[in-house]
Amino acid sequence: MPKIFRVFLWTATSLLGAFALATIALHRGEQINAMWLVVAALATYAVGYRFYSSFIAAKVLAIDPLRATPAERLDNGRDFVPTNKWVVFGHHFAAIAGPGPLVGPVLAAQFGYLPGTLWIIAGAVLGGCIQDFVILLFSVRRDGKSMTEMAKTEIGKLGGFVSYVAVISIIIILLGAVALVVVNALKSSPWGTFTIAMTMPIAVLMGLYLRRVRPGKVLEASALGFILVLAAIFGGQWVSQTPSWAAVFTLTGGTLAVLLIVYGFAASVLPVWLLLAPRDYLSTFVKLGTIALLAIGIVALRPTLHMPPLTRFIDGTGPVFAGSVFPFAFITIACGAVSGFHSLISSGTTPKLIRREPETRMVGYGGMLAESMVAVMAMIAASVLQPGVYFAVNSPAGIVGQAPETAATTISAWGFPVSAAEMASLAHAVGEQTLFNRTGGAPAFAVGMAHIFSNSLGGQAVMAIWYHFAIMFEALFILTVLDAGTRVGRFMLQDALGHIWNPLGRTSWYPSILVTSALMVAAWGYFLWQGVKDPLGGINSLWPLFGICNQLLATVALCVATTIIIKMGRVRYVVVTLIPLCWLVAVTFTASYHKVLNPNPRIGFLAHARQLASAGADPRLIFNDRLDAAVAATLVVLVAVVLIESALEWARVLSGRKPAEVRETPFVMTRLALEEQA
Amino acid sequence: MSQPECGAGAPAREKPEAKMNSRKISAIRPSITQPFRLLIAMLREVFDEAPYQRFLARSEVASSPVAYADFLREGETAKARRPRCC
Repeated sequence: MPKIFRVFLWTATSLLGAFALATIALHRGEQINAMWLVVAALATYAVGYRFYSSFIAAKVLAIDPLRATPAERLDNGRDFVPTNKWVVFGHHFAAIAGPGPLVGPVLAAQFGYLPGTLWIIAGAVLGGCIQDFVILLFSVRRDGKSMTEMAKTEIGKLGGFVSYVAVISIIIILLGAVALVVVNALKSSPWGTFTIAMTMPIAVLMGLYLRRVRPGKVLEASALGFILVLAAIFGGQWVSQTPSWAAVFTLTGGTLAVLLIVYGFAASVLPVWLLLAPRDYLSTFVKLGTIALLAIGIVALRPTLHMPPLTRFIDGTGPVFAGSVFPFAFITIACGAVSGFHSLISSGTTPKLIRREPETRMVGYGGMLAESMVAVMAMIAASVLQPGVYFAVNSPAGIVGQAPETAATTISAWGFPVSAAEMASLAHAVGEQTLFNRTGGAPAFAVGMAHIFSNSLGGQAVMAIWYHFAIMFEALFILTVLDAGTRVGRFMLQDALGHIWNPLGRTSWYPSILVTSALMVAAWGYFLWQGVKDPLGGINSLWPLFGICNQLLATVALCVATTIIIKMGRVRYVVVTLIPLCWLVAVTFTASYHKVLNPNPRIGFLAHARQLASAGADPRLIFNDRLDAAVAATLVVLVAVVLIESALEWARVLSGRKPAEVRETPFVMTRLALEEQA
Repeated sequence: MSQPECGAGAPAREKPEAKMNSRKISAIRPSITQPFRLLIAMLREVFDEAPYQRFLARSEVASSPVAYADFLREGETAKARRPRCC
């Protein structure tokens, strides 16, 4: 392509992106089309990928196309396999995209669509993508070492220990928080509960089909599983309309929580092929298909956003979760902008598949951009709802009241008109008994998605099917995270306990499997139970706690990245990771301070504990608040220690007191470059 | 000597424009089929079909319930330790 044409193309893309961003940022008092968000995001991503990521690749990381990757050097056809970059991209995206980028933006929409959208776009381009890209490359240069191993070798033993504690904490709190999202979505919903219950025997059937009937035909089994899940959605409608069956599947939050805990334990101790693997395949199949469908739906229908760009709740008085736009918008949306959890995936399976070093840019940076786009779509799904409906679905009974009329009056008084009759009609259209107080983000996302789809495919008549399809899609994601996370946590516990008593570290010894699975399930189950019993709905406490943990893990990952960049002698470019690191420190430390010490009982855990104590509430509720405060404070202190240890290491290297040694695998010339040239 | 007519026993000669069109089509075809091939390859990798084929090639065995059980056993720890992001 001639240079003049390229210059024109990129100038036009930049101007289009700037115009779209100005449109979404400056429009007040009138509704805008969702396409402005899509255009702003795509143009920014294109410019960020073309210029910023290539600058980082060339100047900061000095990516070497002639250096052999571990996939080439250690190729064993099993863990290390040189793989086409698009295939690795798909593999990586399937691992990083989960329920987080769908739930976080929906919750953050209480501030209006603007803060969340700007954070998703800017956070991804300047922070999240860089973390994923840099950690992926550094892991590739260290034979696919994990993030915790890199923290240990590059920062120090303490860095490694804190990474371990941060990872296990984030897994426990993440599992508790996402399990609560499922409980809130399925509470008193026989249709949804039946559909999700059916996914378990379907997964077992898939496992048996793969093992006994058609070995290895996973795509075929997943397609069959998907057809059975669709049948379960239609069957769920029949169940919800048959009083005797509806009674069986109409469950309370407490019962659902117990069932999820039992499920998590079973998934952790049963053979992988029987439940975990087929569920994972089914979830990935639905995930890739539905995300593509949602993107097509938004582009084809170009819906109007009814949510204003900013709501009155930026001051911190929001009903969905308490806390002002800074810092709470930035921890509510973690996956989709910056997610520390991604650093585990970028230093897990992915680096062992990378064929050539330059491909880390597309997989690491590009994969995160794709996830960020999913988060923008979730923001659109929440913002196409009438604000009154959005707040009616997402506000807990403790804030707006239990009775529909009371809730509608409260929400209307905030300036977002909604009536009990309107909500009853919407609930009827989606096949639910009520849509009031359905906190957690999943039902609001499902209503938004059903709204988008039913306008093109099937009309209002099939809105209930689309709603339950969306609920199934989210719950399937979450249950996959739940069973995979419980197992990963179990292995981590076994690794740690093996240092205390050797047999406990043996991953195939059944008593050890049972004990560590029970410990892991009890840990996240406790947080789930606490959320179910929380008078403020649970999400108000658990989601910010999860966001803080996730961003603290990102802080550790960026400490590792900054340390390596300094040791590589690239100090002049260190701002690339140092600026997102400083931002995350500001966000997470401020958020933690507020969650622990803020005098407002809706924000501060300790203030809430004091309020409950003075009201003579159940001592367990008081203990829960104190526990949440202790978890947040402990993690912040540990991450502060890593920060200090990293800063001392930087000072030692920069002052020349310590040689700038990077622990990379020695250079080996690639054969693939020569083969490609031939 | 006159040229043999098309369909009169002699092989039909392609017209120059038709030749050019078929050349264009064969040049375009890979750019259409390649994305689909890549998509299939990606799905086969994500859904562990490609790793299973590699396992069969490495172990020099044919696909069977026993071979698949061995493949699952070999990858069980790696799969169970693979986190899924939130």
